Amino acid sequence: MRLGKILLIVCVLLGVTAFNKTLAGSSKAHQEGEVSTTLDIHDSNGIFNGTASFTFSVKNTLDKDQDGTVSYQLTTEGGVKVTSSSIKVKIDRNSNENYDFNIPDLKTGFYKINFMINVTDYDDTTLRAFGIRAKEIKSSYAKPADFDQFWQKAKDELAKVKPNFKITPVPKKNTDNRDVFEIEMQSLDNYTIRGWLTIPKTKDKKRKFAVLLGLPGYQVDLEPIVGQDDDLAIITLNTRGQGTSRGPINTRRDEFIFYHIDNKEKYVMRGVIMDCVRCVDFIYSQSNLRHDNILATGGSMGGYLALAVAGLDKRVNLCSAQNPILCDVRNLVGEVDWPMSSIKKFVATQPGLTMDKVLSNMDYFDGKNFAVNINCPTLVGIGLLDPFAPPNNEYATYNNITAKKRIMVFKDLGHEISQKYKDLEGRWMRDTFALF
Amino acid sequence: MDAGYVCIILKHDMKFTKAHLKYIAALAILIIALNKKSFADGFPVRPKTLILNPSVSYFFANKEWDSVGVKKPFPQNGQFTAITYSLSAEYGISRRWTFVALLPFVSNTFEQTGYRNSANGLTDLETGIRYYLANIDYKYYFMLQGTVITPLYTNPNLGYGQSGAEIKLSFAGSGHLFGRNTYFSLEDGVRQYFGSAGPTQNRYSGTFGITLDSRFKNQVSVSLGGFYSTSSFTKFDPNPAVNKNFAFNQVSLSYGHSFSRAFSVFLSGGTFITGRNTGAGSSASVAFIIKSF
Repeated sequence: MRLGKILLIVCVLLGVTAFNKTLAGSSKAHQEGEVSTTLDIHDSNGIFNGTASFTFSVKNTLDKDQDGTVSYQLTTEGGVKVTSSSIKVKIDRNSNENYDFNIPDLKTGFYKINFMINVTDYDDTTLRAFGIRAKEIKSSYAKPADFDQFWQKAKDELAKVKPNFKITPVPKKNTDNRDVFEIEMQSLDNYTIRGWLTIPKTKDKKRKFAVLLGLPGYQVDLEPIVGQDDDLAIITLNTRGQGTSRGPINTRRDEFIFYHIDNKEKYVMRGVIMDCVRCVDFIYSQSNLRHDNILATGGSMGGYLALAVAGLDKRVNLCSAQNPILCDVRNLVGEVDWPMSSIKKFVATQPGLTMDKVLSNMDYFDGKNFAVNINCPTLVGIGLLDPFAPPNNEYATYNNITAKKRIMVFKDLGHEISQKYKDLEGRWMRDTFALF
Repeated sequence: MDAGYVCIILKHDMKFTKAHLKYIAALAILIIALNKKSFADGFPVRPKTLILNPSVSYFFANKEWDSVGVKKPFPQNGQFTAITYSLSAEYGISRRWTFVALLPFVSNTFEQTGYRNSANGLTDLETGIRYYLANIDYKYYFMLQGTVITPLYTNPNLGYGQSGAEIKLSFAGSGHLFGRNTYFSLEDGVRQYFGSAGPTQNRYSGTFGITLDSRFKNQVSVSLGGFYSTSSFTKFDPNPAVNKNFAFNQVSLSYGHSFSRAFSVFLSGGTFITGRNTGAGSSASVAFIIKSF
């Protein structure tokens, strides 16, 4: 429970944007009652193996009959219309009606569906998403043939940089049960990165702690994480260009994602990912940290970085990625606004630079390509209404993981996961690290 | 009443008294196992961690259930008391395997009008291995345990004096209820004593506990457990120790307080609610949990 709270704080700090659409039901008050609707997707995860089925329920507590239609419109995640249907309805005053809809013969993938009610005193639309045979989803784009060599070269360059690890106590941030330290190290291109380490207070000088490595969301300034857990050291890392590691990469918020995107050898994410690897080096340099109990976790960009570092660095023992962005990047085009809109705007300002060239570079930074190389147990959390990390792309990435894995699907959530995920993550980590 | 008749009565009562003492003594030993369930059991143990559980329990009975489950007082104002000191331990060998042991010392007394008998000593040593088979969502754990029973005594008033073996399956889990953390465990073990008409026993228990605060400092739990003992010796004998066919169920309530991660205390009270061929008593115990973090 305590761990769950800590992990939730991690998640919030790591920048999982609250995107809590209250779309589950809606209603319209009236002088003497209201019309309200609920949509039931007949699968707890919103994923079907065959026919998709729904029940749209209407409750009319008005003292007046309601006539009109209930209809739906089905589109791909990119907004291309697939099918639609409409039925005439009459909901007697002070009564309920349920309308069942079955949609057969859909291709593998995720869809958006709008259920609409238009009756005498009430009009409303309910947006949902669902999937068909999600475990069969594969990206249509291949991993670059030299992907592994590209990253080996980056790691070789990193290895040549002396880390100069520094640990500075920050007593004013200590709590009754934890000591807080600022950590600093040199990373790729001799860039100075910083983060925080909090360790449970203990009289046992020989005690070694399992490590939670919290990775940052987009342009988030991570703070030290404390809490009541007695078993975990918690590192929060500010990768380059963010928070206490801003340094020379001092971009405006929306510019960070395309910083040097025209050159894959200089793209900011190359350094950011190597910062995460360097932080694993840091863990290995510390005698009071367990080197075989490292959980890399994060949300949004932090989730992406968790996948990346787990794919590139086998010293990571567990990976937990919540709503990872930049997955199946080429298929993000036309499906999401951010980050593709920012990247497109940048490309438009650069003479000679094309979107094709940028996407070719991005192939080396695609979450789905890191996923192939992950060997450690991995937990992934997604929201079916996520506007930045759509479920098609998330599943294309998840399905590339060959290690032991599990996905938690939140059919009613956007770019977020629920406390249930953090509770499971905590129990799963404790079981794997034998922290009973 | 002539002298010869008195003599016969006395001899009969002596025989009856010893018989009661013997089977009640065995029962007192068994109570240890039930009192243990006042705290969460059945969850994996951190490797290289030793959990010690010293406890003291007091058992008192002045009634019995007969062979058809009719409850009545012991004859001649009889009463049985037992004080049991036990030390149980579980040591984490690896992520899934643990070693367990239980060493009890019993001191019991049976008194009737004009009669008193006491016995004390180490009783049945239990040593075993646990394997945590599987889990559901890292929340519900299945555990299998094999145990060897080694008698450390020759006094027949302390137990069967037979070696035995037990296999036990448990299912334990945690959850939330009314905004509190909860846990439960269900256990069932089948034990076979070896030797002449060694009984076969089914030992079962269920525990439900709830924390009283968010930091796991205080908790209460309720347990229901019992034994069902049968033997190849099925002929009814007025001597229950020879009979070896008995059954009972007990309920108990426990309060636990954690002073630290490494030290907790549990206070428990329990009473028998049904039985056959057994004493009807109540128990109270104090147990300590010491973890070697």
